[in-house]
Amino acid sequence: MTGPLLSVRDLRTHFVRGKETLRAVQGVSFDVEPGRALAIVGESGSGKTVTARSLLRLLPRTARIANGQAILRVPKRAGASGGHRRGSGSASDAHREVDLLALPERELRRVRGREVGMVFQNAMEAMNPTLTLERQLTEHLLWHGICGKTEARERAVRALGDVGIPEPERRIRTYPFQLSGGMRQRAMIAMAMLTEPALLIADEPTTAVDVTVQRQILDLLVEVKNRGTGIVMITHDLGVARYFCDDVVVMYAGRVVERAPTTALLDEPQHPYSVGLLGSSVELGDRARPLLPIPGSPPDLARLPSGCAFHPRCGRAELPRCQTDQDLVTLTDGRETACWKAVADA
Amino acid sequence: MGTGFLGYLARRVGRVVLSLVAVSLITFTLLQLAPGNFADIQRISSGATTIGSAGTEDVVNAFESRYGADVPQWKQYLIFMKGAVTWDFGPSYKYPTLDVQEIIATAFPISATLALLSVILALLIALPIGVFAALRQNSPADHGMMFLVTLGHALPGFLSAAFLVLLFTATLHLLPSSGWQGPQNLLMPVLALAIGPAAVLARYVRSSMLETLREEYVTAAFAKGGPRRTVIIRHALRNSLIPLVTVVGPLLASLMTGTVFIEALFRIPGLGLYFATAAASRDMPLLMGSTLFFAVILMVTNLLVDLVYGVLDPRIRADGGGGPRRAGTGSGKDSAGRNGKDKDRGWVRSRRRKLSPPISAQEVQ
Repeated sequence: MTGPLLSVRDLRTHFVRGKETLRAVQGVSFDVEPGRALAIVGESGSGKTVTARSLLRLLPRTARIANGQAILRVPKRAGASGGHRRGSGSASDAHREVDLLALPERELRRVRGREVGMVFQNAMEAMNPTLTLERQLTEHLLWHGICGKTEARERAVRALGDVGIPEPERRIRTYPFQLSGGMRQRAMIAMAMLTEPALLIADEPTTAVDVTVQRQILDLLVEVKNRGTGIVMITHDLGVARYFCDDVVVMYAGRVVERAPTTALLDEPQHPYSVGLLGSSVELGDRARPLLPIPGSPPDLARLPSGCAFHPRCGRAELPRCQTDQDLVTLTDGRETACWKAVADA
Repeated sequence: MGTGFLGYLARRVGRVVLSLVAVSLITFTLLQLAPGNFADIQRISSGATTIGSAGTEDVVNAFESRYGADVPQWKQYLIFMKGAVTWDFGPSYKYPTLDVQEIIATAFPISATLALLSVILALLIALPIGVFAALRQNSPADHGMMFLVTLGHALPGFLSAAFLVLLFTATLHLLPSSGWQGPQNLLMPVLALAIGPAAVLARYVRSSMLETLREEYVTAAFAKGGPRRTVIIRHALRNSLIPLVTVVGPLLASLMTGTVFIEALFRIPGLGLYFATAAASRDMPLLMGSTLFFAVILMVTNLLVDLVYGVLDPRIRADGGGGPRRAGTGSGKDSAGRNGKDKDRGWVRSRRRKLSPPISAQEVQ
């Protein structure tokens, strides 16, 4: 493969509220490779979900993507009806690059759900309560002209069976609320994967389900990943990232504060915020050590402190140095951090 | 749906019967308490106009032939109700040659036609306005349309009716101002009746649509690559129309049971006119008959609304059948308002719940 599947550069998304502009995402960059998973980790309000939704431009009307590129490598398709994707031909010839943020609406629609799939936090809310699974699954295939109605139904049944839903023939005729939470979540993943997208964006797919189901959902996503799909996983749970993701991007107040391979981040977090996030994690913390919550609360995006947005909550902060902006700095081992002290220590 | 559904239906019908008894008792009692009786009022009005004094004789004869002379009031009630059960309300006082059910049979189709056409017209006006305004929320187009809607809402029916007469009859000489001969007599009353409800419905469609557009499943449908129009119609509009049923049903019922003012203004021999006359003249059989008939129409409509609601929303259908069902770990939305103590509650509650959106917070913002 030549180059990453998705390459995001300096993404900036703003919300306009009256005369105020909320800078929800301020210059986020990352790459996603095929068959690898990237976790975007952060508290609520850190901009991780806005980042994910900006990629497919699924934002509320008050949002503006102010800057950035999101280059996606998509396979060249003969026409709307061309069904075979993982075909022959050299990689570079069979692909073209599109900028998701600049694509005209009409073309973007052909990318949404086709080249980039999306899984939501709560399938109960993300599936239409008054349409049967059959209707919702088949419409996905039909919208992209992948196959006809009869085949769409067959594929949908098969997809439900593939994600471990028993009696898919019967289940497909039911409504989302008639499934258990875990099954609903699986059905949603099956729906997203129907079109075999090369990239899957998963927005906290395990947050709304029981702990016992979380593992099953993650295992399902591991399967998806092993089939070569690149995954962007939005989560606030470092445990999920450890289980499943190859790389982690830590976000705080709309910025990336640290980027590293998962193991490196968990073993040796560099940015004080990452350290805090790890220290306050129930699952990952050392059981002998008490939980250390991060003091304070996430900042109001309308009134961000100057410089590093984390410094008012940071135990290591030194003024006035922390009040000046600090870009991500690449350390010798290839990881990146936005804390000057961490850079100095390294 | 199964036996659970039949049981539900049986309970509902039982309740309708009980309500009818209550309505009849209350109406009858109030009528007895009201000052004056039919004969007094006839005498007073005939004294003023010096016609129709002969009618009083007929009335007394008709009354006595049915109820007997000098029967106590409770017995009158029982005799009336006995007839009512077999759809026989007896002759009207004011129109002694006609039985009340005959009056209803001729007047109701007229009121029903008016009502049905008005509601259809109101929906035809309200749907596009509501959807369009919701899609362009807070734009000048939205504000402009909502201004018109408020105007339409504030305008009383008789005023718009008068305006229509002024325009179509007095100025353009296109339509007859009154009567009931054909389609030319329908246009103005239907328009006059539709304007107010259209405004209410447009507002309702807009806020319901705004709410649905914010639902995650609409975003999810776009994320699947759904074409804008399809997503808006199949996912957003379809679901936002479900709660509309609960508004349209009662609206239709109230219009069907007659609209006194419009009927009087355009001289349409509808039920409302008879009803008003009956109340004013203490015409017991006509008043009782039409009140009971209205009650039946209203309750049947409500029952139909609930049933249609169940057909449109599978979640409620499931509730009405096998008792309440916990909607998984689901959103607060679905576990709210269902504690499962009463099987009927699923239907009733969810209806109430759906009724709330029009005045919800986001519209204030």
